[in-house]
Amino acid sequence: MIELRNLTKSFRTPHGRKVLFRDVNAVFPEGKNIGILGRNGAGKSTLLRIMGGIDYPDTGRVVTDQRISWPMGLSGGFQGSMTGRENAAFVCGLHGIWGREKRKVLGRVQEFAEIGNYFDAPVKTYSSGMRSRLAFGLSISVDFDCYLVDEVMSVGDAHFKHKCQQVIAEKRKTSNFIIVAHGMEQLKKNCDVGIYLGPEGLAIYDTVEAAIAEYQKGLPQAQKKKTAAGNPGRLVNS
Amino acid sequence: MNSISRTPWQIQRDVMHALLVREMKTRFGKWRLGYAWVLLEPAMHMLVLVAVFSFLGREFYPGIPTALFMLGGIAPFLFFGQCFTKSLAAVASNRGLFSYRQLRPFDAVVTRVLLEFCIYLFSLVALLGILAWFGVAATFNDFLLLVAVNILFLGFCLGLSLALCVFGERFPEAAKFGPMIQRPLYFMSGVFFSLEHIPEEYHPYLSWNPLLHVIELTREGLFASYHGMFADMQYLVMSSVGMLAFGLLVYRANWRDLVRSQ
Repeated sequence: MIELRNLTKSFRTPHGRKVLFRDVNAVFPEGKNIGILGRNGAGKSTLLRIMGGIDYPDTGRVVTDQRISWPMGLSGGFQGSMTGRENAAFVCGLHGIWGREKRKVLGRVQEFAEIGNYFDAPVKTYSSGMRSRLAFGLSISVDFDCYLVDEVMSVGDAHFKHKCQQVIAEKRKTSNFIIVAHGMEQLKKNCDVGIYLGPEGLAIYDTVEAAIAEYQKGLPQAQKKKTAAGNPGRLVNS
Repeated sequence: MNSISRTPWQIQRDVMHALLVREMKTRFGKWRLGYAWVLLEPAMHMLVLVAVFSFLGREFYPGIPTALFMLGGIAPFLFFGQCFTKSLAAVASNRGLFSYRQLRPFDAVVTRVLLEFCIYLFSLVALLGILAWFGVAATFNDFLLLVAVNILFLGFCLGLSLALCVFGERFPEAAKFGPMIQRPLYFMSGVFFSLEHIPEEYHPYLSWNPLLHVIELTREGLFASYHGMFADMQYLVMSSVGMLAFGLLVYRANWRDLVRSQ
């Protein structure tokens, strides 16, 4: 269960504070996958990070008993002078995985990332594709009740994308996802509940289709079809 | 799988452990000499000061070799300096790590201070040992005093670092003055003198500095023939506890703002 209590979040701008949402109360039961949509700059990623306990709202709080992941595929925490293995071991340590369990996870990361011997080379020598592979492999190798996905399912080549698809489909059986995406097809496929961040604040819909309908209000019909079909170049699940 | 749920204490321990391993790798992995650098830095400082003061051609402090006298001041000051500089930039330089929800600036600062503290103790003991092996030694005085002083010193640096990590993040411009404050402190903290060398009329000004008391008391603990005549344990206790409380309060009042997107 993830409960939002009186959440308010605003950003400082040169023209005063911009309120993203105000006094939001909601309860998301266990087993619901949540899709967050809205325009660029509406605060989707911020909401995702607040729900994950990484960022904080101005007021209010998020109450949960679930283990929530870091944003999937995040590579900002990597230390360039350390090897991929050392970086992965650090993240394992943060999550209380040591010893034999750690070696098992590291094995899974190495196998999944398919970066071969580069796993033992400093991360600063990686290409950006390799970094994302490592980051993604690490995300799915550590087990959580709930994964945060922030439009990062676009890593790597076609082969790797296919692999990610399979793994996520597998994960969906045991874990939930909170997804920020612009690809409607992906949201429809993966999410049960929709959150729409519009200019008037935040609205929660029981089905993701309702949220998509709200989001697409005002778009010309042809445009709707196009977004509904998704953008196959960017998304794993399209 | 890793489906065990951890207590807050276990999480804290795991985070600190992971950070400590990471800090060790990044701090020592960068340079060719790696771990030797821990000893080289204070040793070089000491050599410079010894070279300068041996021109004076006399025993700097009766009964204590000049090298040891300097070491007793340099080692604590280097620890203090590391805490000071590193904690000012602690939030900015660890920004990427705060995407892991269990890792907050507190953990980064505390781990860093603890690591620096261990390095300081290790380098002090190792250099004393090396010097003794070469015949530069003085009679040891009081182990318990050293333990007490170092616990207080650790508390002081911890409090200061927590306050500075908040300060450095909230006022990045003001943080540029950090090194400017640190340099005069080097000259005011008794790194290369004892309060006994200073005319008594200046004592009221200098003795406000807790660092001076740390260094005086460290020397008193180390060397039997050193009399920290003007060092005040009570003042050190008060300033350490005060600084620790202040640092914790400042951090407590600001910690969400350090991580929060504005």
